[in-house]
Amino acid sequence: MRPLLSIATACMVWMASGLPALAHHSGAAEFDSHKKIDLSGVVTKVEWTNPHAHFYMDVKDSSGNVTNWNLELASPNVLIRNGWHRNSIKAGDMVSVTGIQAKDSSYYGNASVITFPDGHKLNFLSADEPAK
Amino acid sequence: MGKRVATGVVSGALLAVFSLAAQQPAQNDSKPKTGTIGLYRNQPLAPDGPAPKMADGTPDLSGVWLGGGGNDADISNPRGLKPGEQVVMLPWAEDVVKNRLSKQDPEANCLPTGIPRGSPYPWRIVQTPTHYFILFEGNIHSFRQIFMNGKHPDDPDPTWYGNSIGHWEGNTLVVDTVGFNDKFWFDYKGHPHTEKLHTIERYTRTDLGHMTIEVTIDDPGAYAKPFTTAGKATLMPAAELLEYICQENNQDLQKLEGPARGPGGQ
Repeated sequence: MRPLLSIATACMVWMASGLPALAHHSGAAEFDSHKKIDLSGVVTKVEWTNPHAHFYMDVKDSSGNVTNWNLELASPNVLIRNGWHRNSIKAGDMVSVTGIQAKDSSYYGNASVITFPDGHKLNFLSADEPAK
Repeated sequence: MGKRVATGVVSGALLAVFSLAAQQPAQNDSKPKTGTIGLYRNQPLAPDGPAPKMADGTPDLSGVWLGGGGNDADISNPRGLKPGEQVVMLPWAEDVVKNRLSKQDPEANCLPTGIPRGSPYPWRIVQTPTHYFILFEGNIHSFRQIFMNGKHPDDPDPTWYGNSIGHWEGNTLVVDTVGFNDKFWFDYKGHPHTEKLHTIERYTRTDLGHMTIEVTIDDPGAYAKPFTTAGKATLMPAAELLEYICQENNQDLQKLEGPARGPGGQ
């Protein structure tokens, strides 16, 4: 069980710390688990690519200024096996996103949970409802 | 009359089959048919059963597997080593581990992981009488080839996966590899190696759905003594490999900060 243990351990670390269990680099080196983000806006673009899928969303602040955030997901091979589809999120969707921000404080983050207006949710790794 | 006998035999056989079929669900109720394998949820699981063999009696390792030979976050973690094993670095190697940065990790740069570092992605063994191929979904979308009962070249070019020859010891596939370059890291922590690296992998399919993988790492250029990792792989019986081209959109690299460390910071 040891190699799977390392994966399971990575998953547990991910769930406990908010840091993504990423395959090709250290999530802890990229994101700051203390910089929580909670965004609402309109999806402007989706990149269904490796090593990570990304989606971009326009977020308007209280002054009306619009910022375009770049939000990272797991890779398509992981997402597909866990119930995602390449069109699960698409340009024009209104969504709310919780996650964590990049260490460099740019408008770049890791999307932990995506919530749609009808209440259904997707998360970084899967299309399952996140554990409560 | 003969027809009646035949009908009776067929009916009896069908009855036996149906009886058996009726019993099957009760026998299998205790074992779920789907479950989580690594990162992947609701995956069909391999049923209980013995390790299969080819027609000539050779163990059959072919299939899509998930797992690997050691602890990918930190190869020196005792949880990824055989009991009693210890990783003892030479002083220069200790310095390297202290000074490496996450952004320098070849894996973060979409380069191969070498041996025995794995990934959370499945891989497939394709078995032929002369060659075994390991097809990696990620990271990266690459392959290894193992020459059965072959001989290492006298002066192999140093490469990421080295030159691998295989043979069977009972039910265990033993893969002997030399001719490595010194570029890949054993783990996220950055444990190094030299071109003197020599690995011996031992793959044993313990039942239909499971395989143990032990890897002896002998590199007198970087470690005071050889050590052996212990890992395991699980069959993903319904999975096919998917495409994973890491170089496609690797935005993360420019964002990585700080020392080399595991996925969750360990």
